[in-house]
Amino acid sequence: MTNSIMDSRNTDLFLMIGSNPDTGHPTIGMRIHQAVKRGAKLIVVDPRKTRLAENADHWLRIIPGTDVAFLNGLMHIILEEDLWDKKFVEERTEDFDELVQVMKKYTPDYVSEITGLSTEQLFTVARMYAAQGRHAIYHGMGITHYVTGTDRVKSIANLAMLCGKVGVEGGGCNPLRGQNNVQGACDMGALFNNLPGYTALDNVDLFDRYEEVWQVKLPRTPGKPATEVWDNVLTGDIRGLYIFGEDPAVADPNIAHVQKALEKVDFLVVQDIFLTDTAKAADIVLPAACFAEKDGTFTNTERRVQRVRKAVNPPGQARPDWQIFCDLSHKMGYNMGYKSAEDVFEEIRSLLPQYKGIRYERLEEVGLQWPVPDEDHPGTPVLHTESFTRGKGLFIPEDYIPPVEQIDEEYPMYFTTGRDLARYNFSSMTGKTAELNAISPEAKAQINPADAERMHIYEGDWIRMTSRRGSVEMVATITDRSQEGTIFTTYNHIEALVNFLTLDALDRLSRTPEYKLCTIKVEKV
Amino acid sequence: MNTVTLNINGCEVVAEKDLTILEVARRSDVTIPTLCHVEGKPSDTPCQMCVVEVEGRDELMRSCVTLAKEGMVVNTVSDRITAHRQERLGILAETHFGDCKAPCNLTCPGQINVQGYIAHVAKGQYEEALRLVMERNPMPFSVGRVCPRFCETRCRRLLVDEPVSINHLKRFVADWCMTHEIELKIPKDKPTGKRVAVIGGGPAGLTAAYFLTRRGHDVTIYEAAPKLGGALRYGFLEYRIPRDVLDYEINAILRLGISVKLSQKWGVDFTIQSLKDQGYDAIFIASGAGVDIPLNIKGCVNPHVYSGMNYLKKVAEGKKLDMGKRSAVLGGNNIAMEIARTLLRQGVEEVTVVYPQARVEMPAHQRNIREAGKEGTQFLLMASPVEICDAENEPTRLKLEVVRMKLGKPDDKGKRSPEPIPGSTTILQVDSIVSSLGQLAVSEHFEGGELEESIALSPRNMIVANPRSSQTNIDGVFAGGDAATGPKSVIQAVVSARRAVTNMHAYIMGVEKEPADNRFNFTRGKGFDDVSLKNFDDVKVTLREKMPTRPPEICRQDFDEVKLGFTEKMAIREAERCLSCGCTAFERCDLKKLSIDNKVNINKTGMGTTPIYGKDYSHPAFIVDRDKCVFCKRCERACEYDALTITADSLDEKGRPLGLGINFKENCVSCGACVDNCSTGALNKKAQIIPIQGEEIKDVRTTCPYCGAGCQMLLRVKGDTIIEVTSEKHLAPNYGALCVKGRLGHEFIQHKDRLRKPLIRKNGMLVETTWDEALEYTAKKFFDIKAMHGPDSIAGFSCARATNEENYLMQKFMRTSIGTNNIDHCARL
Repeated sequence: MTNSIMDSRNTDLFLMIGSNPDTGHPTIGMRIHQAVKRGAKLIVVDPRKTRLAENADHWLRIIPGTDVAFLNGLMHIILEEDLWDKKFVEERTEDFDELVQVMKKYTPDYVSEITGLSTEQLFTVARMYAAQGRHAIYHGMGITHYVTGTDRVKSIANLAMLCGKVGVEGGGCNPLRGQNNVQGACDMGALFNNLPGYTALDNVDLFDRYEEVWQVKLPRTPGKPATEVWDNVLTGDIRGLYIFGEDPAVADPNIAHVQKALEKVDFLVVQDIFLTDTAKAADIVLPAACFAEKDGTFTNTERRVQRVRKAVNPPGQARPDWQIFCDLSHKMGYNMGYKSAEDVFEEIRSLLPQYKGIRYERLEEVGLQWPVPDEDHPGTPVLHTESFTRGKGLFIPEDYIPPVEQIDEEYPMYFTTGRDLARYNFSSMTGKTAELNAISPEAKAQINPADAERMHIYEGDWIRMTSRRGSVEMVATITDRSQEGTIFTTYNHIEALVNFLTLDALDRLSRTPEYKLCTIKVEKV
Repeated sequence: MNTVTLNINGCEVVAEKDLTILEVARRSDVTIPTLCHVEGKPSDTPCQMCVVEVEGRDELMRSCVTLAKEGMVVNTVSDRITAHRQERLGILAETHFGDCKAPCNLTCPGQINVQGYIAHVAKGQYEEALRLVMERNPMPFSVGRVCPRFCETRCRRLLVDEPVSINHLKRFVADWCMTHEIELKIPKDKPTGKRVAVIGGGPAGLTAAYFLTRRGHDVTIYEAAPKLGGALRYGFLEYRIPRDVLDYEINAILRLGISVKLSQKWGVDFTIQSLKDQGYDAIFIASGAGVDIPLNIKGCVNPHVYSGMNYLKKVAEGKKLDMGKRSAVLGGNNIAMEIARTLLRQGVEEVTVVYPQARVEMPAHQRNIREAGKEGTQFLLMASPVEICDAENEPTRLKLEVVRMKLGKPDDKGKRSPEPIPGSTTILQVDSIVSSLGQLAVSEHFEGGELEESIALSPRNMIVANPRSSQTNIDGVFAGGDAATGPKSVIQAVVSARRAVTNMHAYIMGVEKEPADNRFNFTRGKGFDDVSLKNFDDVKVTLREKMPTRPPEICRQDFDEVKLGFTEKMAIREAERCLSCGCTAFERCDLKKLSIDNKVNINKTGMGTTPIYGKDYSHPAFIVDRDKCVFCKRCERACEYDALTITADSLDEKGRPLGLGINFKENCVSCGACVDNCSTGALNKKAQIIPIQGEEIKDVRTTCPYCGAGCQMLLRVKGDTIIEVTSEKHLAPNYGALCVKGRLGHEFIQHKDRLRKPLIRKNGMLVETTWDEALEYTAKKFFDIKAMHGPDSIAGFSCARATNEENYLMQKFMRTSIGTNNIDHCARL
């Protein structure tokens, strides 16, 4: 997030797109509801009728997968009606002309046809967002989980810059990050194309510095992203896999493909807290301590680095992950030599400029939001107030590309998924609490009443949904929360593995799969 | 000026403008009590607890709605304020209905959190259950086998079917931890540098040593016998407490770091003076009551006539004794029952207990009498021994002459004592006689030195120890256990020693002793007759689990243990029978805390006597107990979603609700903020079934492991178990808010399915292995693959759920040890 969670107190208008924080990020969702109660305006762009959609001033029930067209359509109107922030664009951005050029063809009529929204809706929302005030965009996986995920994120940034809504309290572009420490994992360079601190692999100076600190020659060719590993296993290019705390056997898209690769790989090490489906396929399973059994830090979606503290001992012989890495590395002949998590953090802050001013001591009471350039710096609640990281904000206009799978005669319905409030991922953790299971006993296929009537499906019927990759059976529930033509379900139930259906086509830059949308056929069981 | 200066309780306070007196006081660390306050949301039915005196105003002012003004003089403590609070609290108490502590807890002489450890068993947390028992009783193995079970006599489940088998559960957790080789990691305070000598290594001595050591003192036990255990070893034989179990229990205590000197006879090998000369800061006498009261009838001096403890001790030591085929046991106490059962096991064919009164008058516990009877012990009741003589030319060795007894005329108090029936003597033909007429601490006085001889004794030859200080008449010398109390149960010896430790600690350290547990207690009814049966409307009859027991005709033939112990499934089933009488909000209840602080006597004001509403279990995660509600409405105002309503059909003349309703609306997200804000136990989390009663709780602040919001939360830890999760109001980023997962979704941490050992695939199966083998094998395989196919043929997935430090190390490992950039995580998944 460019801004902070509690910054919602200052926001005059929320533009929520592809995000349902009521289930994905409940405490953030609550703040938005509270802001709306206090009088903030709310626009929700979502194919689904979420609770926020019900509370919105304007709910735009968009056809799934058409967000770039929608965002471009807004910019078209804003440019056309001269509502954009000239001062901001002039002083803080570059390549404005290119933006103007690309936006030309996204006329309200054209966009209306693609998105299924009325031109009035487009005009209203464009004018509201571009108007004076502190306006924030929030987005989630409904934006990023597409092969055009990066296009969407860029389009959001274009819109916010065009209207000068970045770098101010109450505004900004605010992606809600899915996992507790996905921000931190990226910051730490657990990425195939970046060293820690988002240092690209072509940054020779920094490479030298890392080689000096780590006392080893480092590989400088980019690695393979996680989503491409499976193909590489099946071709024999990857022979050994070390999977730490992930369960791709159920969590990745198109899991039939993943499971085939897991069977094939020569050597598989899994390090986890439970014997997950992935671990069951392993040659070696290393038992790890969970968050309550170790020290460390997480970095949340607002870039706040916060302490994780040991409360109880790990079960049996399980060890904290940091210790396992030290132990294994030692066996491999490279001595890491850390005595504590804090030791590791000290090295991190010596290398990452964003973390430089953070010390455990400073995190005792409350976390700090990076960048924290020195030990007296109070942290950065709002990014880009003076300038962007690269200096000027670059407009990168993108054209609308339709979703990979389009409905056809054989696969006439769209299929999309989201998170259940009382469950998390595939419930390996939440599933151990009886009350959470009671609150959310099963996944249901949510079908619009019109579709249900057409297909003669009634509440409680079992249906089979089949995509080009696999099928899943589930109980149907009839609700207008789902858009006509689209079936929604939560993905958190291990009994109904929706990732047999989902699509593993990848974004050309980030290599993110198109989780959020595929086409299916539906039959009663 | 954006500040005001005012005076609170004589101190000048500078505060921001427009704050209430309550908020100013909070920020200045002045506690003003309140039952109903929710920040920023004043109540429409105020509790009036927060009243203060403001100079210039006649009436008491509610600090939660009175703004702090420049120059104000505020007083938060006065008799008038206390009286007002007392009146208000009294009104609330009148209708508050429930138990603070469960009757089992209150009845246990050891004041053990019985409901707590049963709840731990129900949750499968056996280790924590045992640790909870050992907070107050270091001898769960022995007590779990021989306790008279005072607790079970008061178990309310009796009003439904049968009491919970509490003691068998205690034994189960102890035995389970022994078989699973659990290291309990009992915490110890920092060393104090003080030394204590404990005379006697029986239950009292061991208990004292345990608690003294936990408090940081350096303890040495002096034991006269060659082994520790005292009455546990020499009073109960193997069939009651197997020796390996006893040794395990004693070793667990000694592992804390206690010195032991065996075969050291007091008065011979050392004296109190010699201990004092060695510089001990205190001495604890726990020498027990091992001296038999002698049999005093004609002919009692005979090689075939034994005294009780002496006899048991000889058997325990493995001495071969020829007891013949028929024996008589004189006496009706617990020791007598042990003697009878031991005689049977020694091959005596006919054992007769002779006692001058009826069975119900016998001092032994009825359960012990029953068990002796089952094994074949016979009872000659209403009979008293008169004379013993050697039998001549008869099949037996001895003739025991007894006279039959009858009940005499009632005395002044109406008690009818037995008296002999003249001319009713009969002869009992026996080969041996063992008497058990009771035990003394010492036969006349202690010997060995001046101090020994000066120890004050009671008329029954017990050591006189001041009940408040546990001290004898000699300064710095304390006494406890049977030596001071006379023969009692093991748990009573434990309690006596534990109290003595509290006193000794205060004495040694020169500090005030900690106050005993407050006796303030709401109750659904003190006696069974006082308890409304309406309490049990929803309880289904489930009979107690039967303890697997070897048949008496078999077990009387050997010294193997008679009772075999619950299986895990039986233990869980039995634990689930617990009605959870005590309040699970015990620790957080504001009503109780304020009532104690303001010295409200609920026995005078009265309390609810019958459930009006009963408990409501319909919410998937929470239990609503309206009978405990004091209508503070904090739940409703604490709900950030406006998803809960609390209503009353009307109010009674004192302002209390009639026809109370607490309802969750359709938009409830089960976040649990209402429960954490409840001022009593009216709202409870279904999973939080463990009452916390003074046990140490560690609050660990940490970050939620679920979504990216990074909510701060508090893990409430008891021992090595997370009891529940709450939050802090004033901390970013969530300012106290948590979702349903954040507050409830942490049962996985201590779930039985957690991986505990490294696994390796052998012959196609994943089997347990050592860390060394697992890591060695992994390193070797990675080396081989690297050598054959290059480093880029290995890929790593990092974890967006793990810490920064770990993600950093994972990528560092892949880039350094493996030498590839094939490292990624699910950021895009």
